[in-house]
Amino acid sequence: MAVSFPSTDYFEALKAQMVAAQEHFSRLGFIDTTFAVSVANNGKSHHYVLEFEVFELKNVSEVPAIDLKKVDFSIEGDTKVWREMIENIKRNGQADTHHDINTLAHFGEQLKIKYDDPDGHDKLYRFMESIQEFFDLSSKLEVSFN
Amino acid sequence: MAYLATHDYLEDKNFVDKWLYTMRTGEMDLSWMNAKTEKIMPRPQNARRGLTYRDLDVGSYGFTEVPEKVRDNRSYAPRGAEIPEGVPDAQPWVSRKSELWAFNTESYYEEAVSRQWNATTDIPWDRLEGVEMPEATGKALSQLMTFLTEVEMIATDTPAMWLPRLNPDFIEVKAFIASQAMDEARHAEVFRKRALTTGWGLMAASPMNEMALKHLRDADSFSEMSVALHLVAEGNVLTMFRFSEYLSPTDVDKKIFRLVMQDEARHVGYGMQHFKYVLENFPEKREVLHAHLDEAENISFAGAAATEVTESFIILAGGGMKKENIEEGIKVTTQFNLKQMHEHFERLEKCGMPERKDPKRSKLYAMFLQGKADAEAHGITF
Repeated sequence: MAVSFPSTDYFEALKAQMVAAQEHFSRLGFIDTTFAVSVANNGKSHHYVLEFEVFELKNVSEVPAIDLKKVDFSIEGDTKVWREMIENIKRNGQADTHHDINTLAHFGEQLKIKYDDPDGHDKLYRFMESIQEFFDLSSKLEVSFN
Repeated sequence: MAYLATHDYLEDKNFVDKWLYTMRTGEMDLSWMNAKTEKIMPRPQNARRGLTYRDLDVGSYGFTEVPEKVRDNRSYAPRGAEIPEGVPDAQPWVSRKSELWAFNTESYYEEAVSRQWNATTDIPWDRLEGVEMPEATGKALSQLMTFLTEVEMIATDTPAMWLPRLNPDFIEVKAFIASQAMDEARHAEVFRKRALTTGWGLMAASPMNEMALKHLRDADSFSEMSVALHLVAEGNVLTMFRFSEYLSPTDVDKKIFRLVMQDEARHVGYGMQHFKYVLENFPEKREVLHAHLDEAENISFAGAAATEVTESFIILAGGGMKKENIEEGIKVTTQFNLKQMHEHFERLEKCGMPERKDPKRSKLYAMFLQGKADAEAHGITF
């Protein structure tokens, strides 16, 4: 059954995939970060807060707005960028060289990374492989786009 | 050999006889059973995480209680153990907490241990089979990898040099520094392996890079080393790894840079938290930190602007050697250099040193402003 993007169902589905791949994510190591994902579409945005602890995604919530003081960082982008990334992951089993998070966000042209504290920003890079492989779990989902 | 044991134990009849007597009769001394130490029973606060150093932060065993000046222990007696007469002075150079402590040191160590990876087996080296790159790209990639191998060799030695100099009571810091030495050795390994798998061999070492980074090895204090290495140099290198991941021509290179950036960001985190700890608890050291930054910014700029790395990035970013490639490469590399400097000052500001963002205070900040203005004049946005 397809999950809709963006939605908490999508992230909950990724969470379930992460649990199923626990041994692999344990091998990657502790991931202790809370970050936001923001998806914009025609002037409106959906915001989600993902709280990771130890080896798993502990909590997903949709919020009306992102408070950068309450998250380590936020990844923000237009729905078409997120859709292209997710579809790329589905086609290839993982993001290809043009669609991983760091590439899309590096100069802020497609995805933007926002943060209040550079120390929080750096958590994106401290846990980069786990975060990338978390999104790569989209390859195991059927995703429909609103 | 600088140190000789005070006894020739194999010739010491009393010592040998006592040992043999114990082993033959079972009659024991047992005075150690009355060690006057605190009795605790730590438990993991989070069973999924396991038993961490933070769980051991209890009473006399904990890092919270370690005073600014450690006078009681100059031996390898583990913190909290009874220290009988006769332990030698290990002559640690650093026994002040302000020289090396960072908020959350113990967490950085736990994260380091859990996030270790293997350069031999965790990189999909087999996916390089059949990968071909134009000569300029291949050589530029190999030069970048040669440069980074050089950088990481220096970065391996630098923390490792300080390990025996730190008072053993700072066991969590020593553990983190040891983990960093392992991280850097792995970085040197993976970059060397990637350079050689380009087919172009290693390229040229960089005298500018080495002359600059020698400051890291020759720092006068651990704190100066940490400011220069963890906060400044590794802050710049973290941006460099992120840029390198962005430029990576293959998914193998992207994996390499995603993994190394994890370790690098952790080292930067320790550096930031040490800097913050000193500023918050020892405000009288502010000007000392400024002095550390003056030299650290000088050498880090030299390393980052070295010909071997700058030209490699221009070629990789531009995708070749034609005039239009070089123009594009310069534009993208300029944006990267400005980002490096911007993020450096952003870290300092958030750590509590906003006054560093002043061209009169920091030559590097003056360079940043000039670079930004030049870039804008040439239509390069940042």
